[in-house]
Amino acid sequence: MTDRAQVYARIIELIEPLNPKKVALGENTSFAGDLEMDSLTVMDLVASMEDEWDIVMPLNMLPDLETIGQVADAVTKLVKK
Amino acid sequence: MDKSLTQLPTPTFDDLAYRRASFGTLGEALDYAALGKKGMNFHDARADLVRAYPYAELAADARAQALRLIADGVQPGDRIALIAETGAGFAAAFFAAIYAGALPVPLPLPTSFGGREAYVDQIATQLRSCDPKLVLSPEGLFAMVQQSAEGLCAAHDWSVYFADRAPAAQLPQAQPTDIAYLQYSSGSTRFPHGVAVTHEALLANLAGHAHCMEAGDGDRVVSWLPWYHDMGLVGCMLAPLANQISVDYLATEDFARRPLSWLTLISRNPDATLSYSPTFGYDICARRISASINVAERFDLSRWRVAGNGADMIRPEVMQAFVDVFAAAGFKASAFLPSYGLAEATLAVTIMPLGEGIVSDLIDERTLSGGSSARPDPRRPTRYRAIVNCGKAVPGLTIEIRDEAGAVLPDRTIGRVYVRGLGVMAGYFRDPEATEAALSPDGWLDTGDMGYLSKGSIFIVGRAKDMIIINGKNHWPQDIEWAIEQLPGFKAGDIAAFAITTPSGEESPAVLVQCRTSDVDERNALREAIRNKVRAITGMTCVVELVPPRTLPKTSSGKLSRSKARSQYLSGEIQPFDVAA
Repeated sequence: MTDRAQVYARIIELIEPLNPKKVALGENTSFAGDLEMDSLTVMDLVASMEDEWDIVMPLNMLPDLETIGQVADAVTKLVKK
Repeated sequence: MDKSLTQLPTPTFDDLAYRRASFGTLGEALDYAALGKKGMNFHDARADLVRAYPYAELAADARAQALRLIADGVQPGDRIALIAETGAGFAAAFFAAIYAGALPVPLPLPTSFGGREAYVDQIATQLRSCDPKLVLSPEGLFAMVQQSAEGLCAAHDWSVYFADRAPAAQLPQAQPTDIAYLQYSSGSTRFPHGVAVTHEALLANLAGHAHCMEAGDGDRVVSWLPWYHDMGLVGCMLAPLANQISVDYLATEDFARRPLSWLTLISRNPDATLSYSPTFGYDICARRISASINVAERFDLSRWRVAGNGADMIRPEVMQAFVDVFAAAGFKASAFLPSYGLAEATLAVTIMPLGEGIVSDLIDERTLSGGSSARPDPRRPTRYRAIVNCGKAVPGLTIEIRDEAGAVLPDRTIGRVYVRGLGVMAGYFRDPEATEAALSPDGWLDTGDMGYLSKGSIFIVGRAKDMIIINGKNHWPQDIEWAIEQLPGFKAGDIAAFAITTPSGEESPAVLVQCRTSDVDERNALREAIRNKVRAITGMTCVVELVPPRTLPKTSSGKLSRSKARSQYLSGEIQPFDVAA
């Protein structure tokens, strides 16, 4: 059983290596604004999340995900399916 | 269900006689390809085959769907906007429009986390520019596309739309001089320009680059390039189709997640592969290889006949790094095929002779900046830049290098690159002003790029038209400037955006903003606000420098000169305000 808290904690771990400026990470941290991630880095993160939970995150989902919290919600939903 | 067990990819060989894009129209090209067994093959992120789509099946689907468009009132010359998802849905809808005599207009996909509003806005702006009869999208993106189309045109999910059966009707007969499609990859997001290409120009260009690559029976194309970009659409979808070659596709977003799947597809092909990528594609593959991956065991790149380079500045050191990593898998540096092109010339302008690989010239940076203002400082070492030979003009095209006054320049002198001949666009759609600026009445296209010729080969040194290319994606300074103008207190002319080259050789956007405030805290806040605004609107992280009022240079006609601003900033002539870190 994977609950949201576990998913969130693991996402934070996966983001760490992609966060060279050590921006403080929280529910409302945004990928573009706070972490300044370019689209290649974002897709790298998507790949590692897909591997972690054996899920597929469709492209049309991405534009609605601005923050770490929103990504954690989306992954939790995909895992429960 | 594992579909890869139940179906085979389309073959590399069949009995159909090879014809090198020698067709009057794109519809005829598909009709001919449909007589053979070859086609498109769509793969998932792990490079497993999801769907084989023979050209015969594509042609049948497209003809049926063309009837649906005609039943809906679509007339020859109408535009049909299509979200360019890599898959059978887009391919069929694109050719349905072609068979109906309408102009397909491929539109981009979202590429990252966030940015829903920006995407909806971008699609709406392009819809306003091409003024289509309708826009079609895959199911997953339909909600956003429908929002973009509100008040502009009808919007449909293509699978629902084409499920309706339509009565039989006569399909119109296109002429070679008719416009075939509109391409939006060249314009800015905010001020888009639809490049209009005729059937004749398209097919001439497709024949030209197939000739240079000696492409034909026995070759297979592998591509992850997006279909809303000229190299993806023209080079990797229309070119193989018009030359009856099977293609293995990986969706761009899957490549971005798992770039090595691209190389897996190439390794798996038992015959010769043709595959193109901008510099960054080779870069991320080489970087993705860690010590734990046995390159020789996992990949076999020995049959990769043409590893094309194009769409951005070719960086020799990145290509060398790729060779260093993948030579163990049999990759040959001679497979690299540099090229130069742009959507306004359909696609290819020049291609390197086969087998010569990457050859570069070392040039003094000062020579490049060219001319009067550059004063050599003997205390400083000469900085050399490697410029890649992009090859000779494809058959049918002529190149000239001209100075600012329009005089043709001799060999090895840098100037503006002009192109004329088969393959040059008809113009920008419904934009006579922009067309007139780019295309002379006698057919010379101003590419906006700077370069020099040497014994018929072209060396591109930069762009005069200010475009900024990051990871293969084109960005326009106008879009950055527009974003800043949305902040209170800024107007056009206060802002100059351009690309600078970072020490690692990559491009990065920079912007100079004239600022009237003398308070340091206020300046800091302003700079932060500008950075955030640019990021929110364009998705780019930008170097922001505040400069005193009236420092930005103007052209003789009083317009802002981005290239002068750039050179004055780099030479130190423009001094930005100090901002406390």
